[in-house]
Amino acid sequence: MKVTRRSLLFSMVGAASALATDAVVPTEAHAKETAKAPENAVAMLYDATRCVGCQACVSACAEAGGLVRDTQVDSPRQSARGLSDSARSIVKLYKPADGSPISFVKQQCMHCVDPACVASCMFRALSKDPVSGVVRWNPSRCVGCRYCEIVCPYHIPRFQWSGINPRIVKCDFCQDRLAQGHDPACTSVCPTQAVVFGKRSGLLAEATLRTAKNPEKYFERRAFGEHEGGGTQVLYLSRVSFDKLGLPKLGSESIPAKYLKWQKRVYSYFLAPTVVYAALVCVLRKNWKRHQAHLEENEESTGLRPQL
Amino acid sequence: MCAFGAVACVLALYREAAGLGPASGMNDAYAWGIWKTFNIMVLTGLGSGSFAIGIAVWIFGQHRLHSVMRTAVLSSFLTYASGLTLLGIDVGRPWNFFSILLPWRWNAHSPMLEIAFCMPLYTAVPLLIENIPTALDWISERWPELDFIVFLLESLIKRIYPFVLGLGFLLPAMHQSSLGALMLLAGTQVHPLWQTPLLPLFYVGAAAFMGFAFVSFILLVSHLVWDRPIDIDVLCQMSRITAWIIAPWLALRFADVVLRGNLPLAFQTTQPAALFWLETLLLVAAVALLLRANRNRSAKLAFLASVVAAVGGMLYRFDPTTLVYQPSASASYFPSLIELAVTAGFISLAVAAFSLFAKVLAILPAPTELWYAMESARTLAWMRTKDYAVTEDYAAAD
Repeated sequence: MKVTRRSLLFSMVGAASALATDAVVPTEAHAKETAKAPENAVAMLYDATRCVGCQACVSACAEAGGLVRDTQVDSPRQSARGLSDSARSIVKLYKPADGSPISFVKQQCMHCVDPACVASCMFRALSKDPVSGVVRWNPSRCVGCRYCEIVCPYHIPRFQWSGINPRIVKCDFCQDRLAQGHDPACTSVCPTQAVVFGKRSGLLAEATLRTAKNPEKYFERRAFGEHEGGGTQVLYLSRVSFDKLGLPKLGSESIPAKYLKWQKRVYSYFLAPTVVYAALVCVLRKNWKRHQAHLEENEESTGLRPQL
Repeated sequence: MCAFGAVACVLALYREAAGLGPASGMNDAYAWGIWKTFNIMVLTGLGSGSFAIGIAVWIFGQHRLHSVMRTAVLSSFLTYASGLTLLGIDVGRPWNFFSILLPWRWNAHSPMLEIAFCMPLYTAVPLLIENIPTALDWISERWPELDFIVFLLESLIKRIYPFVLGLGFLLPAMHQSSLGALMLLAGTQVHPLWQTPLLPLFYVGAAAFMGFAFVSFILLVSHLVWDRPIDIDVLCQMSRITAWIIAPWLALRFADVVLRGNLPLAFQTTQPAALFWLETLLLVAAVALLLRANRNRSAKLAFLASVVAAVGGMLYRFDPTTLVYQPSASASYFPSLIELAVTAGFISLAVAAFSLFAKVLAILPAPTELWYAMESARTLAWMRTKDYAVTEDYAAAD
């Protein structure tokens, strides 16, 4: 088929409008594009109803990471104001003004099943361990673009803003301890077993058991993280609603599956850009030849070297 | 200008030594400052003249606009080059960037990779090659004895030119859309009036009209500053095309907002709603002014119109990354003095370079009236000595 300017334009407009309608009109969740957790994925289950806010896990986390514990305190509970490059895990207090029950909440990386940070990272500096599902950071690949901080729906990754060799700081599920056969630092010190370590499938079953046993005690009688944003490997049980604990409302589709769907299709196998380039070159060569002929004519009539 | 640039370079050294924290107002919630959100997201949109006008010229046969191509390719090259240099200062661990050469490290689905790969490639290959003929003209004029080298290079460029042009259109279409795709992954943190799967398309569209508006702006400013004659025909044609890009763009943007059921959000008394209407107002005004400038053949109106269109586009490209990017209720970001100074400094460097090249090389177009009036080759030769870029267009044939 001969590619003319008109046919090219028409086909481009046609393709674009097809893409556009498909993208704007909400469709069924593309289940197959949402990644599944590895079979033996590790997980944490944090039960806010059991947490007494003792901060033992926070200290243990800082110690395990070789970090100086942040002492900018919110006395008397000695809790850091937020995650920072020296606090990969913190426990915060939710205290409603109307006197209804308080709750603590532990914050750290959620180790999403299909993480936005991993999808965003250009050189795979953030990657998901294929066996354990832990999201880890590789200092020899990170460029420091901080795109992970922009995309994380839980606002977890922290960047070291000072110094000439800044790192991305976040919970790595105590990879070193796991490799030595230990549990993560936070789960191994918790006196009330508010946060426990195990396989994701096992902990999901445990969460179901607890909510079935005490249905009135748990918000929505379910664990946050089973489906949220495609699922996470840190699960939450709570008395108060999840949004009060700072957990965002996310659909069941993972962020990369939901938002990068079209990007992935357009760039799959680099097919579309190649076709567009080929078509462009076809048209351009034709136009270029015409232009050259015209330049030569001008050169003959004026006797001057043509300008490109 | 150069002094501003020098200050920026000193401050950039301070940033390298002290880290990003002390030098900027960025924080963990607003992890991107104006070096990315303004110098890259906004200014490379303005620098899309070579892409937008190039397509009009080479694909859609708007031959008149050949005369402004040199202005377009130079301004594009300089905006991209200064933006990318600043990007090198903005990233925290630039020494790891060599991974761009190792395909097995790539995350092919990351919009950031696409940008990191495409933008430098676009600047270093198509934009640079498109600027070479101008330099060759200059060499051939100063040192006629080097003509054989000029001839050799020119025939080489002529042979590869269609392929280079193709890259020069494909790559910006890819990375300008990926700039929009960057914010897709931020999900609900970007206000729903902006967050749409069409964000990549809107970003390319904005780049297209911003490129046209910015080149008109440059032509008119050099007309004012250097007292150059202005070619009102070309200006009108550019105004017309710009208006015809903005109008469907705005219509699509509105259709998207309405179809996604987000229109009620625009009628709340919130900052994003106000910004949405400000953008809309600017662009509607731009269309009206552009069409009026075209009808009245008025350079004054064209100037105003190009500024309004460019500012409208700039606002649209700036909003999703900063003003309507809402990671948390408590966090805020305002650029530090150092950030502002470095941004201003790098823009100054680009402006200084443009003025220098525009004075030395034959960049700025001569008006087509001169072409019509030209009776002999002598006029043309005279114009060449005055550094006019003579329009080798189809003016005579039109």
